[in-house]
Amino acid sequence: MRNGVLNKVIAMFWRLVRGALFRQKRKMLMIAFTVALGASLATAMLNVMLDVGDKVNRELKTYGANINVIPKEASLLDDLYGVSEGRGVSDRHLRESELGRLKTIFWAFNIVDFTPYLNAEARMSGLDEAVRVVGTWFAHREDLPTGESLDTGMRNMKSWWSIEGDWLSDGDTDAAMVGGLLADRAGLAAGDAVVLESAGARRELTVKGIFEAGSAEDERIYVPLSVAQEMTGRPGLVSSVEVSALTTPDNELSRRAAQNPKSLSVKEWETWYCTAYVSAICYQIEEVLTDAVAKPIRQVAESEGTILEKTKLLMLLITILSLAGAALGISNLVTAGVMERSREIGLLKAIGAGNAPVSWLILTEILITGAVGGAAGYFAGLGFAQIIGRTVFDAAINIKPMVIPLVAILVFLVILAGCIPSIRLLLSLRPAEVLHGR
Amino acid sequence: MYLLDLQGVSKIYGSVKALQGIDLTVARGEWLAIMGPSGSGKTTMMNIIGCMDKPSEGKVLLGGVDISAESARNLTTVRREKIGLIFQQFHLINYLTALENVMVAQYYHSMPDEQEALQALARVGLSDRAKHLPAQLSGGEQQRVCIARALINYPMLVLADEPTGNLDEANEGIVIDIFRKLHDEGSTIIVVTHDPEVAEEAQRTVILEHGRIARIVENRKGGQEAKV
Repeated sequence: MRNGVLNKVIAMFWRLVRGALFRQKRKMLMIAFTVALGASLATAMLNVMLDVGDKVNRELKTYGANINVIPKEASLLDDLYGVSEGRGVSDRHLRESELGRLKTIFWAFNIVDFTPYLNAEARMSGLDEAVRVVGTWFAHREDLPTGESLDTGMRNMKSWWSIEGDWLSDGDTDAAMVGGLLADRAGLAAGDAVVLESAGARRELTVKGIFEAGSAEDERIYVPLSVAQEMTGRPGLVSSVEVSALTTPDNELSRRAAQNPKSLSVKEWETWYCTAYVSAICYQIEEVLTDAVAKPIRQVAESEGTILEKTKLLMLLITILSLAGAALGISNLVTAGVMERSREIGLLKAIGAGNAPVSWLILTEILITGAVGGAAGYFAGLGFAQIIGRTVFDAAINIKPMVIPLVAILVFLVILAGCIPSIRLLLSLRPAEVLHGR
Repeated sequence: MYLLDLQGVSKIYGSVKALQGIDLTVARGEWLAIMGPSGSGKTTMMNIIGCMDKPSEGKVLLGGVDISAESARNLTTVRREKIGLIFQQFHLINYLTALENVMVAQYYHSMPDEQEALQALARVGLSDRAKHLPAQLSGGEQQRVCIARALINYPMLVLADEPTGNLDEANEGIVIDIFRKLHDEGSTIIVVTHDPEVAEEAQRTVILEHGRIARIVENRKGGQEAKV
């Protein structure tokens, strides 16, 4: 019996809603379109915002490493005396054979590239002073302890270098790449021969490429790691390793941990260790490399964090502004609709409808319209996100399921906010005035 | 006890006195007409009696209950429970059928009942037009739907504002006949009108002038003829 009554009441309510929806098709379409516009921008921005961390990080990785790994004693001398090269420093080395372990740490997936360096001093033909010779990997395939392999090296990590000639490959043991400034002083061009002498060893190499790095590297000669190891008599050793890692921007926890991980509680330590903070990755690198100290290159790591935060803030602001715009649009359209329907609303009040049932009726109409617009906007937003991803990052944006409830809640709140002025107008309508046109 | 008792009712809008010291009683089952020129206070009086406005001064007792000081929410309840409103402009919802327009009043009163709504339409001779939209009905038919909607919840008082104002002679006659039938059945009816012929159908006619009752006329035709 009670169910029968309820069914009749609900059926009548839907008759009223359906009638209003179909009668005002154009206005409802406009409201749906406004909601769709806001929802699409919110969907696109939220999806991009949630995925932008990795995308921006990967973009920034093309501008170099953010972690430098050096032997422990060398680090100590650097910390105490600011000495990074010289006797007692260059004596300490890392083992080349251990470098594959970098891809076994907890955040192994975040280690994008790494390359070792072995520094040596040598005399170069045509110049009086000694020059810095650096042995490194150019395009190295590293077999990892996990059974996988990784293509890494200078070519990936110094992608912004301007090269005249060609990059070296690791097999070019009779060739070198010379920095632009050094090449100018020595009068070298690609294809010339150059003789290097170090510790009594003499090596004749062909200049395969001349590079412009825009830094102190322009004064150096780069050779395959094996050549430098042979020249210095340090087989299997490297002076330092540059690591390019995807990191999470620092916060108060990571800064405390960077100073002293032991100052953290067990729970804090777990949170820190399991978050891709640069300090956590450094800590994990130190765990796998013998007598190594990993230090973040602060200006890179912090710039990355700042750029990321600002990019996210920008997207959040666009989302908020687009939703505010949608709310204003909805507000105008619904208020105009209520004004147009004032006689109908006045009649409902005159025959005994309270403010609440009439408000619910209008809200239901707008929420149904908004839900249709929101759903259309969500799918359009997925398309916008992909366009942004392809245009800006040259990669697809991963669709985040958590955006669906977020957009649903935002659309709901925007519709409610947009309806406030019209509901206020509706509450103020007096049947005597609207029915008699006063 | 009177069904409606107005005691010293005044309504003042700024410097305009729309009603001044109105004293009027309406007995149960009575058919009363209110007449007067434009600006005499007819509509203001109807709004106050119909619980759509409140007097600035005085008391309005409906069924012995003072409604002059009630809140807007309570007045809505009184309208819903006790008053059936008929308008000159019909005020039907144009996207609902005749039947649904009647059922709307049921919906906000208690619960919609299609059979009962159909019976109400049959009472005003519109059972064959139940599924028609207002735009498909003539003026007279729309007014009859409006009357069916006013009667559907068995109101204590039927209040009609110029019910024949927008109708031709033939439809006017049909509407008057319905009022006669209602009166015969014991309904209390107050009709606000410009038309002396419609007013004559009532038992008494209250003539308003400048917001005051100028005179009250006992009609010979009203009531008596209907009862014959």
